Amino acid sequence: MVLLQIAEPGAAPEVGTERQIGVGIDLGTTNSLIAHFDGADLNVLQDQAGQASLPSVVYYGEAQTLVGFDAEQYASVEPGNTIASAKRMLGRSRQEFENDPYIQLAGGEGLAFATDAGAKTPVEVSAAILSALKHRAEPHLSGPIVGAVITVPAYFDDAQRQATRQAAELAGIKVLRLLNEPTAAAVAYGLDEQAEESSLLAVYDLGGGTFDISLLRMRAGLFEVLATGGDSALGGDDFDRALAAHLLDALSVSEPTAVQRRVALALARDTKERLTDAASVSLDVGGLDAVSSEITVSRSTLETLLSPYIERTLAACRQTLADANVDAVDRVVLVGGSTRTPAVRQAVADCFGLDPLCNLDPDQVVAMGAARQADILVGNRQGDEALLLDVIPLSLGLETYGGLVERIVDRNSTIPIARAQEFTTARDGQTGLVVHVVQGERERVEDCRSLARFELTGIPPMVAGAARIEVTFQVDADGILEVAAVEQQTGARSEIVVRPAFGLDEVQITQMLKAGYEHASEDILARKLGEARVEAEALLEGLQAAMTVDGDLLSAEEAAALGSDMKNLEAVMAANQSDDIREATETLGKASEVFASRRMDRSIQKALQGVALSDLESEVAEENTP
Amino acid sequence: MNATAGATARDYFSLFQLEPNFALDETALERAYHKLLTQFHPDLYAGKPQVEQRLAAQFCADINSGYRILSDEVSRAEYLLKQAGVDLAAAERAGVETAFLMTQISLRERLEELDQSDAVGRGSLTEEIHGHYTVSRDQFANGLATSAYPEAARHWQEMCYLSKLLSEPKLRVS
Repeated sequence: MVLLQIAEPGAAPEVGTERQIGVGIDLGTTNSLIAHFDGADLNVLQDQAGQASLPSVVYYGEAQTLVGFDAEQYASVEPGNTIASAKRMLGRSRQEFENDPYIQLAGGEGLAFATDAGAKTPVEVSAAILSALKHRAEPHLSGPIVGAVITVPAYFDDAQRQATRQAAELAGIKVLRLLNEPTAAAVAYGLDEQAEESSLLAVYDLGGGTFDISLLRMRAGLFEVLATGGDSALGGDDFDRALAAHLLDALSVSEPTAVQRRVALALARDTKERLTDAASVSLDVGGLDAVSSEITVSRSTLETLLSPYIERTLAACRQTLADANVDAVDRVVLVGGSTRTPAVRQAVADCFGLDPLCNLDPDQVVAMGAARQADILVGNRQGDEALLLDVIPLSLGLETYGGLVERIVDRNSTIPIARAQEFTTARDGQTGLVVHVVQGERERVEDCRSLARFELTGIPPMVAGAARIEVTFQVDADGILEVAAVEQQTGARSEIVVRPAFGLDEVQITQMLKAGYEHASEDILARKLGEARVEAEALLEGLQAAMTVDGDLLSAEEAAALGSDMKNLEAVMAANQSDDIREATETLGKASEVFASRRMDRSIQKALQGVALSDLESEVAEENTP
Repeated sequence: MNATAGATARDYFSLFQLEPNFALDETALERAYHKLLTQFHPDLYAGKPQVEQRLAAQFCADINSGYRILSDEVSRAEYLLKQAGVDLAAAERAGVETAFLMTQISLRERLEELDQSDAVGRGSLTEEIHGHYTVSRDQFANGLATSAYPEAARHWQEMCYLSKLLSEPKLRVS
């Protein structure tokens, strides 16, 4: 018998001989990038003006929506319509931003920006950015994009990851995997290929709006995240705001207007960048309507302003090392534009006692790593790539009696993971139970983030404490959670895929997709047909290959039934109707489930028998010899 | 199709091809863990049929859970007791011996009195707790090997107390 998965790990069923196209996307707080690996080179794809970074800014005017540099131009003229740093609001609640002077919220319960084009949620803003990246990439590529690896801060919780996925869905992009940004950076440096005997790596990632510190271990083809820490609301934007506040203060502007704030922020950003090379700069502050028109800022003034923020990053570094019981690391990689600031580099070098790696562009390194991983996941796999194992950043648990949290999955558990725990009823005759899922490290429910709430009903009336209710948490490889509760005696069952409580619900997404979020000029019908054909061909070819190898797992009748479904799909494909093809593909997919599950069982059995991997490989080689 | 039926009942020792003993070859565990992951991680199933993706994810979740349980001494001890059919809830109600309780209380008091800046005191207290832990652990192993389950379960509880003490933030500051 043969383990097909070993001969071609991860390979999508071959559709022709062309290289499949997967892209890597760094959806950043300040800037976003898209990159592609063509088999030889890692390319960060540029716009027509030759720019690699797309500012993560969207302008929603009455007449038009603009993304990137075009949108940025409206930042000081129409600040309310120009949305920047939406990423830090992804998957979060309205309450967290109500007092933010830089944001104008729309009315209602949800978290949305008030613009002249209506209320826009952070998910929609992110979707607009993703969509713009996709359009920019297409002219550079030789075919359709099969899917994307999108990076997220390692510290992102479940709701934030879900919101990122929703944004991609809205933009019509298939997500191959959400990858932690620091892991992507390490992949870009090719550190996964250096088969040294076990080494430890710290990735210090200080971007526009998020700070991540991750500890990774590499050895023999495996790349593990040991621990992550950081702060999803700390970054270069804070540097800019601190400096902007300092400027306004120095100029005695006590109650700045929205426009003054924007001008001060832009000045601050520029000043910070100039101070990377210069010891002091003087700047023209005429645009701030202040009494004086020029002001001088020295690097040491900047460093004093930044030091509380830098110290917060170092404290998180020390905490993460302690979490993983690690004293020292072998390498430190710098990621994020804010690591260009000399004070940051120096502080990191001092903290770890190492000169950090920074020869790749810290703004591009994450997108480059994501592109490499995307290329592997669409099936252009060589077979010797490292496997990227991730951990969940925050513990998951349930609310129990008295508002306390019972932890079910500990933080830093390698994912995917499933954990089950038994609970019981608190009252006599209780027939229902509210399952409240929370995320966080604190003991009281109000100190943790609420992820979802659902109800289990149909518990037979019993005395308190007699019912046995098993709650299962399952976290997939993207860090997305599914929770199920089952009453053991009756089998009464209730489950939920955790959706961000503050994002969009499924119905809203479907409506938006139907409304044609994609650019109107795109031929949606042709795209749909193309996608349906690719899917159908992949299924057919995969099944044919599987039947050749594992045909013995099917009875003669089963094989005949499957064969007739396959013939049916082939016939439907000739008629070029996307809906029909989709339907027939689905039918065949369903019909082949039992077969797929038997094949999977066989490979698991094989693995459990302890046959050495090398034996299996040679077996596969023999089998494939005609 | 019942994909999860076998999953929860799977014996983790046979999953990693190890003898079901408390003493365990950590290198062998890690090697087996990595070998399984490099075959079944969901990333390797990105282009496969849905059902295979789901089964791989479930199996992989099982591999991760198993590794987590077996790689830690305290959870491995608990797992072995469960496998032997010991009623852990009853064992917890029975509790530990008074002498151990007194030791534990005094250790905790000393931890509370410990000065944050006293590195020497922290080192010696850590060492002492560790000494107690080693004793309890060996007694557990002995109890398990001789099928003296009530004793083994009692010493397992001691291991829980002591390892929790060792993981107190105050002792872990570097």
